[in-house]
Parts: sequence; structure tokens; C-alpha cells
Amino acid sequence: MDPFSAEGELLNIHNAFHSGQYQNVIDFETAAFSPENQLPARVLKLRSQIALGQSGEVLAAVASEEDTPDLAATKALAQQVAGKTDAALQLAQDLAENYPDNATVQVLAATVLQAQGHNEEAITVLSKHQGNLEAVSLIVQIHLQQNRSDLALKEVQAAKRWAQDSLLVNIAESWVGLRVGGDKYQSAFYVYEELAFGPSTSAPLSIVGQAVAELHLGRLPEAEAALTAALEKYPTDAELIANTIVLNVLAGKPSADLESLLQQTEPSHALLADIQEKSALFDTAASKYSPKVSS
Amino acid sequence: MQSSPNMLTKFESKSSRAKGIAFHPNRPWILVSLHSSTIQLWDYRMGTLIDRFEEHDGPVRGIDFHPTQPLFVSGGDDYKIKVWNYQTRRCLFTLNGHLDYVRTVFFHPELPWILSASDDQTIRIWNWQNRSLIRSYWDISGLRKKHSAPTSVSFEDQMARANPNQADMFGNTDAIVKFVLEGHDRGVNWVSFHPTLPLIVSAGDDRLIKLWRMSGGFTTPEDRSKGVSHTKAWEVDTCRGHFQNASACLFHPHQDLILSVGEDKTIRVWDLNKRTSVQSFKRDLDRFWVIAAHPKMNLFAAGHDTGVMVFKLERERPASAVYQNQLFYITKEKHVKSYDFGKNVESPPMLSLRKLGSPWVPPRTISYNPAERAILVTSPSDGGTYELINLPRDATGAVEPTDVKRGQATSAVFVARNRFAVFNPASQQVDIKDLSNSTTKTIKPPAGTTDIYFGGTGCLLFITPTTVALFDIQQKKQLAEVTVSGVKYVVWSNDGLYCALLSKHNVTIVTKTLEQVSTLHETIRIKSATWDDSGVLIYSTLNHVKYSLLNGDNGIIRTLDQTVYLVRVKGRSVYCLDRNAQPRTLEIDPTEYRFKLSLVKRNYDEMLQIIKTSSLVGQSIISYLQKKGYPEIALQFVQDPQTRFDLALECGNLEVAVEMARELDRPNYWSRLSAEALAHGNHQTVEMTYQKQRNFDKLSFLYLTTGDQEKLSRMAKIAEHRGDFTSRFQNAIYRGDVEDRIQMFKEVDQYPLAYLAAKANGLTEEAESILEACGLTEDQITLPSLEGSLQVPRPIVPTFKSNWPVKAAGHSSFEKALLGEVGAADEEAGADAFEVEEDDEEAVLAKDTLDDEEEDASGWDMGDDINVEEEVDFVNVESTEAGAGSSEADIWARNSPLAADHVAAGSFETAMQLLNRQVGAVQFAPLKDRFLEIFKASKTYLPASVGLPPLVNYVRRTTEEEDIRKVLPFIPRDLETIASVDLQEGYAAMRSNKLEDGVKTFKRILHNVLVNTVSSEAEVEEAKKIISTAREYVLAMSIELERRKLSTDTPEGLKRSLELSAYFTIPKLEVAHRQLALMAAMKLAFANKNYNSALGFASRMLANGGSAKLLEQARKIKAQCERNPSDQIEVDFDPFAEFDICAASHTPIFSGSPFVTDPFTGAKYHEQYKGSVDRIADVTEIGAPASGLRLFVPSQY
Repeated sequence: MDPFSAEGELLNIHNAFHSGQYQNVIDFETAAFSPENQLPARVLKLRSQIALGQSGEVLAAVASEEDTPDLAATKALAQQVAGKTDAALQLAQDLAENYPDNATVQVLAATVLQAQGHNEEAITVLSKHQGNLEAVSLIVQIHLQQNRSDLALKEVQAAKRWAQDSLLVNIAESWVGLRVGGDKYQSAFYVYEELAFGPSTSAPLSIVGQAVAELHLGRLPEAEAALTAALEKYPTDAELIANTIVLNVLAGKPSADLESLLQQTEPSHALLADIQEKSALFDTAASKYSPKVSS
Repeated sequence: MQSSPNMLTKFESKSSRAKGIAFHPNRPWILVSLHSSTIQLWDYRMGTLIDRFEEHDGPVRGIDFHPTQPLFVSGGDDYKIKVWNYQTRRCLFTLNGHLDYVRTVFFHPELPWILSASDDQTIRIWNWQNRSLIRSYWDISGLRKKHSAPTSVSFEDQMARANPNQADMFGNTDAIVKFVLEGHDRGVNWVSFHPTLPLIVSAGDDRLIKLWRMSGGFTTPEDRSKGVSHTKAWEVDTCRGHFQNASACLFHPHQDLILSVGEDKTIRVWDLNKRTSVQSFKRDLDRFWVIAAHPKMNLFAAGHDTGVMVFKLERERPASAVYQNQLFYITKEKHVKSYDFGKNVESPPMLSLRKLGSPWVPPRTISYNPAERAILVTSPSDGGTYELINLPRDATGAVEPTDVKRGQATSAVFVARNRFAVFNPASQQVDIKDLSNSTTKTIKPPAGTTDIYFGGTGCLLFITPTTVALFDIQQKKQLAEVTVSGVKYVVWSNDGLYCALLSKHNVTIVTKTLEQVSTLHETIRIKSATWDDSGVLIYSTLNHVKYSLLNGDNGIIRTLDQTVYLVRVKGRSVYCLDRNAQPRTLEIDPTEYRFKLSLVKRNYDEMLQIIKTSSLVGQSIISYLQKKGYPEIALQFVQDPQTRFDLALECGNLEVAVEMARELDRPNYWSRLSAEALAHGNHQTVEMTYQKQRNFDKLSFLYLTTGDQEKLSRMAKIAEHRGDFTSRFQNAIYRGDVEDRIQMFKEVDQYPLAYLAAKANGLTEEAESILEACGLTEDQITLPSLEGSLQVPRPIVPTFKSNWPVKAAGHSSFEKALLGEVGAADEEAGADAFEVEEDDEEAVLAKDTLDDEEEDASGWDMGDDINVEEEVDFVNVESTEAGAGSSEADIWARNSPLAADHVAAGSFETAMQLLNRQVGAVQFAPLKDRFLEIFKASKTYLPASVGLPPLVNYVRRTTEEEDIRKVLPFIPRDLETIASVDLQEGYAAMRSNKLEDGVKTFKRILHNVLVNTVSSEAEVEEAKKIISTAREYVLAMSIELERRKLSTDTPEGLKRSLELSAYFTIPKLEVAHRQLALMAAMKLAFANKNYNSALGFASRMLANGGSAKLLEQARKIKAQCERNPSDQIEVDFDPFAEFDICAASHTPIFSGSPFVTDPFTGAKYHEQYKGSVDRIADVTEIGAPASGLRLFVPSQY
């Protein structure tokens, strides 16, 4: 069963992690946790550090404890994020082979595998999970990245039967909802709004989610209000910037400043990469045409 | 029958036995006549005794207010009827006549009569205007004794049996006993008519309440004309329940209910139609004697052994819930309705809750869930029930809900999107339920919990009689607790950060974590509250709308003529529900609290705005500011010099204080000012005040301390002049002027002192002369030992020259703003300068970012490569793996034949193919920005798991569509934006003569329309219109730009220039813009003596009309040209010929001559330009074969 069930002492730290409050997770008082919960709590803290871009610190912290599979898996993720992709892949594959039943290994190894495009392997690793919601949400995400919203939806609905209340399932459902659209946009919006509004769950993650849902609903002024307020609070959050760029373009406003800001904060962001690629594509495609008479 | 929870006691008095009660028709007053001979007048709303009237001797049983006059009447066991004026607070007169106890007295509703009934077995009618008895009827006792058998007596019988006693002094029998209602076994204590129906209710010592019906009066018109009345009266039913004598009874004024009271210490309510007991209320010790109903409001009063209680049978607070711009509420008919605050419209009924709870009990609360569009309604009947109902999508009328989930609970609230909490006080248990009504969690609230409220997402508030606790449902943990007693309602602020706890007389504001922020007390009951968007709590009491800031500052906004329940505040409108559950809007003036709020937030700009735009004055604001320590701001409001002076002193603004003191010019003010100025060290002001006060001593000392010798000597002179020797002496000492001192001593005949002074200061000669004058020698005088001359301390610094450095008077930024307002020009200049600075900054910034970009460029290329590879990988995976599906972008391209949709999908090649086929597009570079813009707006980035790229979702213009085969992308800059923003920008460029910008703008418009979609055929037409407008402007502006580049030194150049200026007038511009072109052409032609052409342009201008100034010029030129209508320079322009302008060569294409057009813009060209790129939009090939631009696919909509 899920170790983060509603009654457990890990619930809050777990929810904080999944609602994107990484600093809170790191600052979380875990000394009073029972011994068997110490390790999962530590892993969450390390993962939060990775999320905040401190993968170097994480690598240093786990350097001497690679015998623990959970920490080794964390190392693999940190390596992946830090750009040491080959080592990460190697480690992840080893771990997945040796500790196929360790929940942390499943999730983190699969993350590394997926990040490097090994979808099938990732799914295989994850499919061994025993009621691990994190694994479920990762499976959902992989399906969505492969544009299989039908499979993602199935996965979510299966999970809802045994863990309806879980934050993770709610969020995963919203991911699918934002793909499916129609009424589901509104449902997804409510989930993110509830998160963004709740003082203990508000974070860039939830605000971006809320704003993205508003964008898809065509409610540009509301999305703008949410994003502007959030940008003031978290001026360097790449996803906030990226989505604000999208919003500005949608609303017919200039976005060049934000694009250069994104260029500074996260030059490898998908938005910039796409634009670069498409710009080149445009030039190639355009060069095929020319007027009969040049003037 | 249990004692009902619905009896709401509003007021209770303590006194001796109450025998009679009367409500005032309008004011919250009640008269109570007591067994102890006193009559009390209470304000039941405030709970205060207003007056006592004590002239009766013995018990007073009858009492009544006059419906309109300030009068009331009383009748007592002293046989007297007294009429009183409650304004003058005295008995006006006494009506004597009854021979036994007076039981009841009433004013006639219209006539100037008083009707009284007495134990002397008479009913009497009195005229209170001439204070006389009109009639008295004696027959009641006789009838009762004689006729015991028949239950009714017909009119005719009555006529026949006319009792002599009944005749008046003229022998007329104008009052007839119509029925004798027999049925009670023992004495009848009370009877009442139904307000509208032919019904009577009676209460008797046989412990029964009997209901009687009369069929009445004239039943048909014929009967009426004949004066025949078939009247009958009979007993309908009996209400059994009282187990002691029933003292009084009446009909409910609005509902089908009977109320009765008895000596069994109960008040009972009966259903008029079923004659069953509905509810009852029991007192422990006091027997009830009388009951009365308020003539208008839903209020009753009952008198008992130890006083009076005023009560309501049911709550009048309509259940309501607010979500964003919508109010959901339950009407008196138990219909659920909604009200839109934005549109101020009430919806038709959406649901009928007729079956919820018992028919006489209105629902208590409603909680709304926007995600599921469901409501939770609670009703207090049957120990508390709740129902979960889904609202229909559209309000179509009061339908019965179909899928209802219900259960037992007194409170039920939504706590999350898919969860609600219900509270059962009997089991002291809170259940968290999901939407299928099954319990997912059970919580044990703190002991004694009476109610629960929403406590923020995932939290609940538990209300106990003394505390409020915040509870996290998921953690099952109490997060916080605050001690507030008697909380009845909880109102959250719009941002969810604060919460107001309302109890009967207190409002406590707490944060979302239950930290107490402020609390306030009201003597009158607090009814409801709602939050302003700016965080001001607006609350209502029984008779006021008030506000409270977070810091507890509060005040009255307006009075209320009836009780209302606030639901929302927006700007100047307060939305509320009245007691009939009708939405109402009250206008309020929020100035005062906004002002105070901006004061607290130190938002001086807004304060300034408020001061400028509204009349915010008054003592209360001034004293508020003073109390809060803002005298300098209060100063701005005050005109009265005295108050201004006080305020100025308080805030240390000496300038104003001096000004005001001058105006007032009274010693008292000067002395206060001098003390203040001294404390400031502002000695110049001090000097002035001393001068004003003629305070010479202090003035001298001031000069001494500041070292102003000159003035000090002037002071000496003044002292001399005034003949004030003490002062002169003092000045002399201050100045160290021995001569003057000696002189002064001599003058006052103090020779010994003069001598001593002279001697001590070594002025031997002077000493000698004094001795001489006194006729003494030195030997005769014994002197104490002298220690040299007295030296007055000298100031080192010449302070007098200027004031001591004073701390700059406390000009708050607010004051500065106010001062700035005086010199508005300065402010503007400042603002301008500021803007310039900003521009500079921006420029610098822009430069920085540019630099950065350049710097990054080299490092960035590598990253770029990797990304592209990744993308390629991904695509490969997609295509090779059977498991992966195709992305939505691909589907867009599949779903649509429109170029814009292909662009959004990132399929630029196909988009270009389409454009090439449709409009012959060959040069795509100008469209690059547009392509990338559309592409950029096509997807959002939703962060998901750490370590993985964000989830990409595609932005659709078909937001409602779920079928993947029909979804389509959102294209930014729709036609409406282009028409309302871009086009206007182009026009503005034309007006302000920025033609280069204008050309760019209109070209951009063309590009934006070219790659776009529209949603109807009508919009296709509009798009075509925009294209042609943009074409004409680009053409016109290009012509004019070419002309401006020409040199006119050569005759050819001049000729071409004149021609181009003429062609500039040809394109179809807006009339106002065409006038500009004509004006330019006219002036140029006129200047070059081409009077004929100028005349033509002038005539066209005059024909177009428009600005008077332009027309005036045209008229003048026309007049001049008409004298000599010839052209000096021959130009290729025939104003009367039909022609178009070639967009490439800017020469005329006369009708009939061959030309080619551009497939997109429709611009015309001479034939030789065929195959080259269109000069207007720079995209398409002139004369290329094309199928026509497609912007719209009907099947998509």
C-alpha cells in the first residue's frame, strides 16, 4: 500500500513536494519521524534540491551512500539533471535491474530512462509498482508525452478507484484533462485553483497550472492576472516565463523581453528550442519559392 | 410535542404580571400593561425601557396604540379608560363610565373611536376627539342567558327580538348581535377575527381553542339590494392541547397558523387548515396571559407572570451563498434562484425545495460548489436535515430536483471540490462525505461544538459557545483556536486571508490562521457581513450598514429602514437580501472607509484623490485623524482657524500656526504658540509672539540668549520709555551697561546703590559725583569688599541671525502631494522628466539585453544542436513505435485546409504550399514574424514530474470541443483586434504624418490577415474590406513618400512632384485623410501657380466637407484660383478621367489600358510588372494564378 496514505506522517512533506513547494520540503522538520520514514523523507528532500537546481549538492550528499538503492536512484536523477546523461542512464539501468521492487528506484530510474527517450523501458520499470501513486503519475505523464491520452486516462481512472483523494491522482487527472479539453479544462482549472488558493499548497507549479488551464479556457485576462502576480513573486521560474510568453503572444502583446529573460534563465527551454528550429525550418521552406521576375 | 427550536426570542422583560400588550405599528416599541398598575413602554430592539406611565389604580388589562397619532389608550380595573400622548408623556384625559373592570380597549382603525369592553357587561364606543361616549351596548349578558340552545341567530330573529337596552337615545337599534357562538363549556377569555377570511378563533377556560366560521353578510347582489343577509356562524373545529385555561389566541397575520397561550405556561402554534399542533414553547414557571401580533412584521409578543417576551416563529434570514459574481438563494416559496451581480439580473427559479423539511420551516443554509454546480441545503426541521442537489444547467423553472442525496445533520458545507462536511450535534460527530454521500472520514469535533463552517480549502471551523477552532481535515489535526464567544456566522474575505466571526453583539476579525486582528462591539444586534475587495468588512445591524477596517476602526455608512442581509459589496453598491428573500441593491458612499483604509495603508495618492474628488469633511474625520496621529492630514480638511491652530501645533507646523494665530490674534494663542516655538528652538517665531504679547521681560531674555545686542539695547530704550525701572535695570544688567544702571538708580533715588555700582565698576568720577550730590564723603560710607565688576555671560554664537537648525517640518509625502497639487505645472514637469529618465533606462536595458543576446549567441548554438537532435529522436520514436500517437499539432494540420492552422501546427511547408496555391505567395520572408508568432502561441508548458520536460498542451480556439477530430488551434490577433487596434494605429500614423510607420503598420495588417482564420462568412467580407483598406493606404503613403524623396530643383522633378501629389489624392482613404492629401496637393499646386489644379483640389475638398479650418483655407484658395484658372506647369493628371494608379510605377492606368492585378492585395499594375513581387504586401507574385485566400471553413463551426 502507499506509504504516504492520508494518516501517515509523511503526508504533508509528500504533498508539499508534489505541489511544488520544494523549499518547504527542504526546510521540513523531519527529526521526529519514525525511523522507517526517515529515508523516504530524505529522498524527498534530495529530490526537492534537484528540482531547485542544486544537483551538485545532491551528488555530494549521496556520494558515500550509494549502497542504499534509494539514494543511488537519487544520484542517477541528479546526474541526469546535471547533464551527465550517460552515467545516469547506466546507473538507472543497473538499479532497475537489481532493485526492481524498490519504489524510489522505480520512479527515479524511470524518470531518467524517459528523459533519455527510453519510453518502453521506463514503462516496464514502472509497471512493477505496487500501489505507488508516484509511479502512476509518471506513467500518465509518459503516456501523455507519447500523445496517448487514451492510455493516460485509463491509468488515472484505475488509480482513482483506490486513491481518489490523493493530490497526485488529482494532478495527474488534470494533466489528462488539459489534453482532452472541453469540460475537462474547467475541471483541471478547479484542481489547480484549489492548489493555488490554498496557503499550504500555493507554489509556481500550481499557479502555472491554474494559468495554463485559464489559457486553454480562453480566459486570457484571468490567466494574465495569475501569471503577472506569480512572476512578481518568482521572477526566475522558467515555466512561468514561458507561459507568460505564450499568453502575451495570444493576447497580441510584445514578448521579446520575456524571451530574452527566458534565454537567460533556461536557455534550453523547449519554447526557445522550438522557435529556433522552426525559424530555421521557415528559412529552408521559404527558400523554395521565388517570384518569376525579380524586381 | 417537543419544545420547538425555531422559536426565536428577540426580547424579554422582567416585571410583574403582564396583562396587556400593544405593538407600535412602525417603531420598535411595545406597550405592556401590568397587573401592578404600571404601563411600560419598551424599545424591544434596543432592550431599553423608554417610559413608564403610572396613573391607573390597580391592574391595567387593555392597551392599544393609535395607528397614526402619538397616542395610546389604556383601560384598568379602576373602571377608567385613559388616553395618553407618549410624546408629551402624559395622560391627556380620562374616560369615565364603565362600572366594572375594563378588560380591553382598542382604537378604531379609521374613525376617531375607542372601543372598550368591561366586566360591567357593556361594550362602549367613545369619541376620543370630543372625549365623549357615543354608544354603549348592554345586551350581551341578556343574550347569553336567554339563548343557550341555538348556535346562531339570524338577522331577522335579531330584529324581532330587539332589546330595549340596545336602542340608543333616539330609540334606534343600529348595532345588532349577529351571532352568538356557543361551544365553549366554560368562560371565554379571548376571541380574534381572521385578518382576511370569515374566521374567528376563541380561547376559553375549558382549555380549548375553537375555530369558527361565519358565512356572511350579503351573499348575492339581489340580497344586498333587498337588505337581506343570510348570515350564519358555526364551529369548525377545536384545537386541543392546552392543559390549563387558554388565556388568549390569534391568527397569524400572514400564514395559515393560529397562536395561543395559556396558563399551562405554553405558547402553542396550530395549523389553521389541519387544526394540528405545529409547535409549542414552554416556560418553566410563568403562566401566559396575553399574546399580540405585530401589525406588519413577523413578530409576536406574549405576556406572562414575570414580564413580556417578543419572539419570531421562524428565521427570516434567507439562506444564501455567493460564488464570484453569483448569488444563490432560497426564496420564501422555497425556490432556489440565482442573482448575477455583474448584470443585476435575477434568474428564474431553478429548483423547488418544497419537499425539504417541514412546510413551516424555511431552509437554514445553502452551500455552493462551482466545480460540480451542486448545492447543499440544510433545514432545521426533524432535528436537522441536509440535501445535496445538482443545479440544472439552465434555470427553467421551479422543478423538483431529481437526484437528491440527503441525511441527518444541522450543518453541511462543502470543504473541497468533491467533499463536504456534515455535522450532527446529537452524536457530536463531523462526517466528511464524497459526492455520492458516502462517508470517507469521521472527525470528532471539540466538545460542545454547535456549528461548523468552511475554514479555507481542506479545513473546517468548529464553533463552540466560547471558542472557534480551525481543523485540517486531511491531517485530522486542530491547527488553531481562538476564544470568541457566541459566534453565529463566519464570513471569509474575498482573498481568503481574513475571516469575520459574527456573534450577537460582536464582530471579531481573525486571520486565516485564527489570529485575532481586531474586535468590535455593537449594542444593536449584528445581522450580517460581507467583505469589500479592498479588505474592508461591511456589516449590517438591525438598522445600520457599517464598516470595519482590519484594525477595528469602524463607522456608520448608512441607515436601514428594514433589516437586510448583506451578501456582496462592489464599488458603491451593497447587495443584500431582504426578509422576503428579494435581492436588493443599496447605494453607499464608501468615501469615508476608503479614506481611512488608504490612511492605514499610507496610500497617500489615493487619499489625495479622495480629498480632491469628494466632499470629505466633518468633525468625525478630523478627530479620527487626530486620534490616529495624523494631525498634519487633518490640517488639510479644516477651515476653522481655531481647530487649524490646534492641529498645526500638534503636528508642529509652525507656519500654519503663526498664520492662524495672526488671524485669531488672542493672547492665549500667542502664548501657546510661543511655548511651542520655543520648544522647536524657532526663536524668530518666539520673538514675534513675545512682541505680540508685549512680554518685554521674556523678550529681553530671549535677546540675551540669542546674543542680539542691538535689540537688547532697543529693549532698554523701550523700558526707559515705559518708565519701567525694573525692566530697565534688568536690561542694563543683560547688556552689562553700568552707566545706564547708575543713571537709573539715580533716577529712582537709590543713591547708595548707584554709588555702589559706580564704585564696584571702578567709575570713580561717577562715584564722586554721587557722593557730592548726596552731600557725603567717602569716609562716611562703609562698603563691603568688592570683587570686581559683574560680567554678564556672553553668547558665543550670534544665534539671533538665523533660527537654530530646525528639523524640517514634518511634511509627509501626503502633504507634499497636496503642495504639488498647487503647482500642477511643476508636477507635470517632474513627471515629464521622470518619463525621460525611464526612457533612458529602457534604452540602456534594451542595449544590455541586446548585448547579452550577442554574448549568448556563441554558447547557445551548441545547446541548440542538442535540442534539435532530441527533437529528431523523439519524432523517430513516435514513428517507429506503435504505442505512440500523433500529436495534436499534426491533427490540426489534418483537420484544416487553412494556412494559419498549418502554421500553428508547425507545418510551415504545407502552410506555404497553401498560400502559394491560394494567393500566389512566393516571398515569405515578410511573413516570418507572423508565422513564428502563431506558432509560439500554439502550446503551453505545464510543469510535471521533476527531471522531465514540461507537458505540452495545445491551445485551441475550439475550447468546448473534446472530439480530437474537430479541434483547431487558436490564432492570435483575430480580425476584431486587427480592426480595432492595428487599423487604428495605421490611421493614427496617417494623421500624425508618420508615413514610414504607417506603411509598416498597414503591411503588417495585410500579413496578419493573410495568415489568419475567421469564424463566419460575414467576417470573410470584413477581412476583404480590411485588405482593400490597407492596400489603399499603403499605396497612398508610398506615393507620398516617393514625392518627398524627389528633388524639385529640376523642372522634371517639379513636374513629377506635382503629379505624385495629385495621385496621392486618388486612393480611397477615409474622408478625413483624403482631405489631408487634397490639402497638400492644393497647397503645392497653388505655390507653383498651377491654379487650375489647385482649384480642382479645393473644390473636391469643399465637396467632402469636414473641419471648418481646412474648408476655410480651401475656400480662400478657390476664390483666388478662380480669377486665373490655368496651370503654369503641364502635369499628367486629368481630374475628370477615370484611372487607377500602378502600385509599382505610381503612374496612372487609364481605363481601357491593359493591367495586371495582384492575387492577394488586388493592387493594379502596368502589364510589364507581371511576375514580380507585389509592392503592397511584398509577399505575392503579381498576376500569378491563384484560387483565392481561404480564411473560413463553414464545417468547422
